[in-house]
Parts: sequence; structure tokens; C-alpha cells
Amino acid sequence: MIARTALFSVVLACAPAFTADGLLPAKLLSPPTDTWPTYNGDYSGRRHSPLTQINAENVKNLGLAWAYRIQTGPTGGGMEAFFASEIKSTPLEVDGVLYFTVPDHAWAIDARTGRQLWHYHWNSKGGIHIGNRGVGIWGNWVFFETPDDHLVSLEKDTGKFRWAVEIADLAQEYFSTPAPLVIGNHIIVGVGGDSLDVPGFLEARDPETGQVQWHWNTEPKPGEPGSETWPNADSMAHGGGMTWIPGTYDPELNLIYWGIGNPNPVHAGQGRKGDDLYTCSIVALNPDTGKLVWAYQVSPHDTHDYDAVQTPVLFDGQIDGHPRKLLAQASRNGYFFVLDRTNGQHIVTAPYIDLTWSKGLNAKGQPIPNPAKEPQPDGALVSPASDGATNWPPPSFDPDTGLFYVNAMQSWSVFYLTDTGEHPEGFAGRDSGVWSQSALKAIDYKTGKVRWSHPYPNQDSGFTGVLTTAGKLLFTGDPSGNLIAFDPATGAILWHAGMTAPLSNGPMTYQLDGRQYVVVGAGDTLYAFALNR
Amino acid sequence: MVAKFLGLLPPPDPEAVARGQKTFVATCGFCHGTNARGGAGGPDLVRSVLVLHDEGKGDKIGPVILNGRPDKGMPKFNMTEAQIKDIAAFLLSRNQAAANRASYQIQNIVTGDPKAGHAYFSAHCASCHAEGDLAHIASKFDPVALQNLFLYPRQHRWPGMPGPPPDPRTETTATVTLPSGESVSGILVHIDDFNVSLKDSSGEYHSWTLGDGSGVTVKVHNPLEGHIELLPKYTNADMHNILAYLETMK
Repeated sequence: MIARTALFSVVLACAPAFTADGLLPAKLLSPPTDTWPTYNGDYSGRRHSPLTQINAENVKNLGLAWAYRIQTGPTGGGMEAFFASEIKSTPLEVDGVLYFTVPDHAWAIDARTGRQLWHYHWNSKGGIHIGNRGVGIWGNWVFFETPDDHLVSLEKDTGKFRWAVEIADLAQEYFSTPAPLVIGNHIIVGVGGDSLDVPGFLEARDPETGQVQWHWNTEPKPGEPGSETWPNADSMAHGGGMTWIPGTYDPELNLIYWGIGNPNPVHAGQGRKGDDLYTCSIVALNPDTGKLVWAYQVSPHDTHDYDAVQTPVLFDGQIDGHPRKLLAQASRNGYFFVLDRTNGQHIVTAPYIDLTWSKGLNAKGQPIPNPAKEPQPDGALVSPASDGATNWPPPSFDPDTGLFYVNAMQSWSVFYLTDTGEHPEGFAGRDSGVWSQSALKAIDYKTGKVRWSHPYPNQDSGFTGVLTTAGKLLFTGDPSGNLIAFDPATGAILWHAGMTAPLSNGPMTYQLDGRQYVVVGAGDTLYAFALNR
Repeated sequence: MVAKFLGLLPPPDPEAVARGQKTFVATCGFCHGTNARGGAGGPDLVRSVLVLHDEGKGDKIGPVILNGRPDKGMPKFNMTEAQIKDIAAFLLSRNQAAANRASYQIQNIVTGDPKAGHAYFSAHCASCHAEGDLAHIASKFDPVALQNLFLYPRQHRWPGMPGPPPDPRTETTATVTLPSGESVSGILVHIDDFNVSLKDSSGEYHSWTLGDGSGVTVKVHNPLEGHIELLPKYTNADMHNILAYLETMK
């Protein structure tokens, strides 16, 4: 453990009242109204709020309540600075305070006014500073992960440093971006890192001490189930499969659901012939033991960097007239999947963009990769590009419309295999983007058909998060810096506001003292919108 | 810039790398492979955890070299501190070559049949492009850039990314018609669902609000639409044949 400094640990006089118990884990089980206690607002990943004060009738009166621009101090410049000051985290809102991050930084600000309460800066030893998804809160303690692979715990009300524990090895090119997921007394952390063929994992950490409660590797060991999908022990020990987006949780089934990243070496499959489980899979684990309960692989033997980390969204629905407990993912590979979340049984697979990497589906609804579309030394033209048909920004499911909403990208790229040897390493290839265009798509979960699509007129690419509310509204951002409220049933635009940068996180909402706020991050600024008074 | 973004250490001294490579190939290559990716009995050292923690300094690999690993069949090697440091620099360079994907070299991509490419061009491209338009195109761009450019001749750039100004023939144009019936045409600067802006032939910038009963209508013309329509139709062979054909135009 290394001593860290809190730059601004000042709690102002009218800070929110101290609550002895802080955020109890049980609060995470209720729909988000006065509180947004976890990355997705609740465990389901639906990002659907029951709030209705802001609604389709009055949204035209939505105006700016406050804006807060972060100050991170000097950065390294270039690409590092570009990403490091972008707010990709979804703020948590607890007792009238918003908690959010960018890499190496965490803030608490007043949720009613945007006034800063504290700012904490972690002195990083390095690592890829591409983004941070935010904090987890347990009781009176805040947890976040850092680019140099530490889980840091702060005091929620002061920002004062408690402890930090190392969760992965920076020297092996791991870097950590997820928001920790709090379930009971488990702080569940995931990792990223695809430069050097390291194995992915999930861990549960103790909220008091940071010690490991369980550790689950995304690849099997020789002899274990799934090991038959790798050619040898070396390939599965270096098989990738990162866990860099927070998962979801069903408290009744007591299962956590996580999307697993792509295999390594990223673009070269010749050294890892087979399906490469559990990369590019949706997995269900017991949160108390870390034991795998079921897995469904959405991209067998991926060579295009189509990781399957996108939020596994949980809802109950009707399939062929029968009530089912469902899980849906709009995956980076361009297919929309619906599974039975009790057992991983396949229900729907349907493409939501025009894609070319697969030859069709097998009996279990899994795409069959087309070998001609794998990266080639002289190039293979493929849709979608390695950035995918969608990426990390969170989608939304609206139970009122029965539609799943995702910002999708039609894109083409030339994939080159740069290492044709038997023992490739790292990415072992490159892809070179050709053309792309983004659109907001509404997908019918029963069929996977795109019910409506709103292409953004600017032929520029970008992915943004989505929020729906019981006020019959859908909030998202276009690639041009507009925050837009759509009618989720029809795709009609009801309201918009221009911002200084495109939406860079998942929008969230909460109601305090009878006033509903919608808060979004755009570049280095948080904007809060509320009805004009 | 990319190496920094990827969080890599500063690259080692190339002279130390060259010396270290020579020693490594002669002394270690038989077991660990001449490229350090593993060989007859010795493990891959490019992604070895111990080597990664050595960070090119020699303090972690030194004891292993000097003492050997008798339990695993690795003998001792009598090396000077300078030799060990050079090997450490070589291993760091191998590690960075794997970890820095921006440094990967794309192999020969001019593999197609220029005659078949010519036939494809005549059938699909000649309605817009006279062959003479493309004279000397292969001497202006390397093959990888040329392959991307013929697929879609306008490359996405990050804000501030260097590069030549766009070819005016590739620019999207727009005609904006106002409620009065007046219309303005020019190069499209920006369009979204709420605003449109363009530069007219005199270089003057104009912008209008769309929707909200503004009565402003826009017609956008992307001269590259034909390129977008071809993207789903190319086979890999078509793409390689077209490139081979364009490469004849030095």
C-alpha cells in the first residue's frame, strides 16, 4: 500500500446529513427514484427509471439546472489527455450526493446544485487511461478501480483515503476500468488488458479489508470443462477474456451475469484453434462462491475484437405466450441475443446491423465465423469494424414498450493479420476503418427485429448510452453533441439541448425534494437538466 | 504517442538491444527461441511475468541467468553485468514489439490479379471514373493507404490529426432551401437533426436551424455514395484485384 493524497477533502458546512449506515446493500434491490445506487441504477441493467415528473408532455420545458466541469490538473497530453478527462462513468447518487470518476480521479458533488464536496486524486504508476466507469458504494465507503490496477476505498462523506489493494499486475499490461459492483458484502471487480495475452478474471473483494473472497478465471484450466475448446494449456493460460464492464444481478436466482471479452492473441486465431471458452461469452456465476452456473458464447473463436462485455440486461417477458425470465444483449459482433437467464438456454439471435463476419447460426443460435472474413495478411473487408456494432456505452430496456434500445454503428474495416507464425502474440494484426454511420435502434425482444431506427444525419461515428423513463421518454446523445429526448414508442424527437461535447456516458436520473434531474456527462462536464421553475 | 497511450515504458537503447540480441541468440536461443518466444524446452520470455517485472533493467533476470534453474534443467551462465543488461534491453524490445500494436508491419498486400481488377473497374467504377483520372495514383499512396482510399476516399480523422486537406471532389455538398424559396448550395460543414451549416463557393459560412417549424429543407449529396454501395458487394478477391490494378498506375 502506498500513501495517497486527497487534494480537496473539504466538506462544506451544508453538506448532506451524515447517515450512520450509509448506503445499505438492500437499497440496490429497489427501483432507482431518490437514489441511483449502482452503475446501471439497479441490478437489472435496464437503465429504466420509474420517475415520471419529466415526461413526454412537459419535456419541452426541460432546462439546465447546473453544470460541473472537472479539473484534473496537468496530464500527459495527446491521446492520453483526450481520453483521461472524458467522463465515461455513470454517477451514483446517494443521499443527495453524486459520486463519479475519470481515470485516477473521483469526485463527490451536490446532486441539487453541482457544488463540489470533495475531489480525490490517485497517483498512478501508469497503465492505459482510456476510461473509468465509476464507483461502487457499500455503507459509508466508496470503491473505484484505477488504470494501474488498484481497488481504492475512500470514506464516502469526506473522500478520505481508507486503503488500496492491488487487483492485477500492471507489468503484464492489465489496466482496470469497471465500476465495482456491490452485491451483499461482495465488491465485485473486473479487469481489462489485451496487449500481452493475459487471462481475464472476476474477483469478489471484502468491503472491510479488500481481501479476495473468490477469484474466477475466464478460461478453464487443463482438464476442466471448456478446456476442450483450446488446443493446449499455453493457449488457455494466455487466452484473454477481459471483464471490463460491470455486470448485472438477479437477487431471486442469486446469479450475477457478466459479459466476457475477446480472446488473445486478438486478431490471430491459428494458435488457439477451437471455440476458446469462455471468451466472448455471457456467463452466470454464483456471487457468493464465484462458481460458474452457465455460459453462452456469442462469438465462438473470435478474431475481430468483438468482445461480448456489453451489459447483459435482465427483464421478464412473454415468449410464445409463456412468462420467462430473460437476459438480452446487443453484442459488439452485431447480433442481438435473448437467453433464458435461469439456465442460459437460447431464445433469439438476430442481427441489428448488416454484418458479414458470420456464415449464419448453428443449432444453438450461435454465429458461425466465416474463415474468409478472418484477418488476412493482405486484408479482409468486414462489417462491423473492430469497434463493433456497439461498444461499452450502456443500452436500455423499456418494459412499457417492450423494446431494447442501443446506439448502433454500421461500419466497415479491413482486417490485416500481421503475424502468420504458429505462435502469434499480442494483437498480431491490425484493422483499418473504412466507413461508419451511427443510428439509434429499437429492437423487439421477442423477435430481434429492429422496430425503428433513427440514423444520425452526420456521417460520423460514435457510441453513446441510453436511459428510458416511465415518463415515456428516452434520453441519449447524437455524435454531434446534442442530448436528445425521443419518444421510445415511435422514435420521434421531443426535445434536445446542445452540449460542448458528445454525450460520453450513460444518462441517469433521480428525484430530490420533489424535483427530477437528468444528469449526463459530455467530455469533461456533467450537465443536470430539470423542468424550469 | 500510441506507445504512451498503451502505457509502455520508454523504448530501450537500440545499441544495447542489438548487443543483447547477439548474446541471446548465441547463448539462450536454443532453448528460448531466437526471438524469445520459447523453443526447445525453454519458456516464452516475451510475456514471462518475471521478465515483464525486470522492465529492461536486468536485476530480476540476472540471478536466474547466473544461478540457472537446476530444477527445470536450466544451466548457469557466466555473464557480466553488462551482458545481462543488454539481454534485458533485448527482452524489453521484444516485449514492446508484441505489446505495441501500432508498430506491427502489414505484409505485402498487392496479391491480386491486375487484369481481373481492371475488369472489375470497367464494370463497376468506370461510370464515374475515367481511367486517366487515376494516373500515377499508386505513386502517391502506399498500398495499405491506397486500399483504404479506394474503398472509401475520405478518411476519418481524430480532431487535430495531421494530414493533407481533403480532395474537393470527395466533399459532401448540400443545398438548403429557405421558406422564402431562396436556396444556398455549398460544401457541407455540419449536419445533425437540428442544425445545418455549409460553405458557399465564395468560402462564406452559413448555418440554419432545422425542424421546429423553421421551414428549412436540406438536400445532401455525397459524391462517394457509390463507394458505400459497393462495400457489401466486394469479395476479398475483388478488393485485392482492384488494388493490384491500381498498383499498375505508378
